[in-house]
Amino acid sequence: MIDSSGAHVVLASSSDENHPPENITDGNNKTFWMSTGMFPQEFIIRFPETTNISTVTMDSYNIKHLKIERNTSPNAANFEPVTQEEIEQTEGHLQLNSISLKGCRATHLRFIVTEGYDHFVSVHRISVKT
Amino acid sequence: MVKLRAKCLLLGDAAVGKSSLSHIFYNDGSLFQKNYSLTTGVELVMKCINIPETNDSVELYILDTAGKETLAEGCEKMWGEPSLLCLVFDLTSEQSFANCTCWMERVQAHCKGLRVPGVLVGNKSDLSARREVQASVAEEWAQSKGLEYHETSAKEMVNCDAPLLSLAQSFYSLYQEQREIMQNLGPG
Repeated sequence: MIDSSGAHVVLASSSDENHPPENITDGNNKTFWMSTGMFPQEFIIRFPETTNISTVTMDSYNIKHLKIERNTSPNAANFEPVTQEEIEQTEGHLQLNSISLKGCRATHLRFIVTEGYDHFVSVHRISVKT
Repeated sequence: MVKLRAKCLLLGDAAVGKSSLSHIFYNDGSLFQKNYSLTTGVELVMKCINIPETNDSVELYILDTAGKETLAEGCEKMWGEPSLLCLVFDLTSEQSFANCTCWMERVQAHCKGLRVPGVLVGNKSDLSARREVQASVAEEWAQSKGLEYHETSAKEMVNCDAPLLSLAQSFYSLYQEQREIMQNLGPG
């Protein structure tokens, strides 16, 4: 089952009001969240309840290195690392990533972009398979 | 309205006036430090620059780092990945201008393939009788390195805003360029 309904972004390290973090979970890869300079950049997604997540799919641009952390707390705190990915550069089209989280349980997922192929990165859509 | 953030390295030989400039950036030219005090580490100054004719701005996190060779090495660890470069030399010191080549090489190792816009600043333009570097020579070298050239006098507070505005505008252009690309991406 692919589901991003009910999941929403509760924190983002930068925000351009024309490209707000809500665009990450709106299911539309034409709209996007854009970072506004410097690294690291991060955002935190909250699920309505604690969920077992097998895979995260993420459409993005200019991201070079990504870390994912999780927690099972009702608060966006006390995260532990899950995985990290080196993402290949694309030109003129989206980076389509499918990241296995091996059924880990999470109430929040924290995405940290530590490096980019440019000063600015974008995230167009995130959905999860449970 | 958007507020961009950029890390700007302020580099150049010792005593060319980097800290004087950064103090003027910080307090909008109300204070020129008359006594020289050597910067031994890295000082952070934040300056917000409005982009003319927009509601947008760029917050510059300016890292004023030690220019003295024995101290510079230790500071390099704190440079991280710069977004912008402000390279300063002393117009009355040919040597400080010559060393700009070394500073450029050094900073390039930190840029990791990112385009880092920069400016070259010839400071101490008030000391015209002692000038050793001609504007045309500095201008030509700056162009060859893709830098925009400015002359300032931190002491007389002449033209000190120009380099920062130029840096902010370059960063803003990069942002607009990437945003345009992101709006027109293919599905993969």
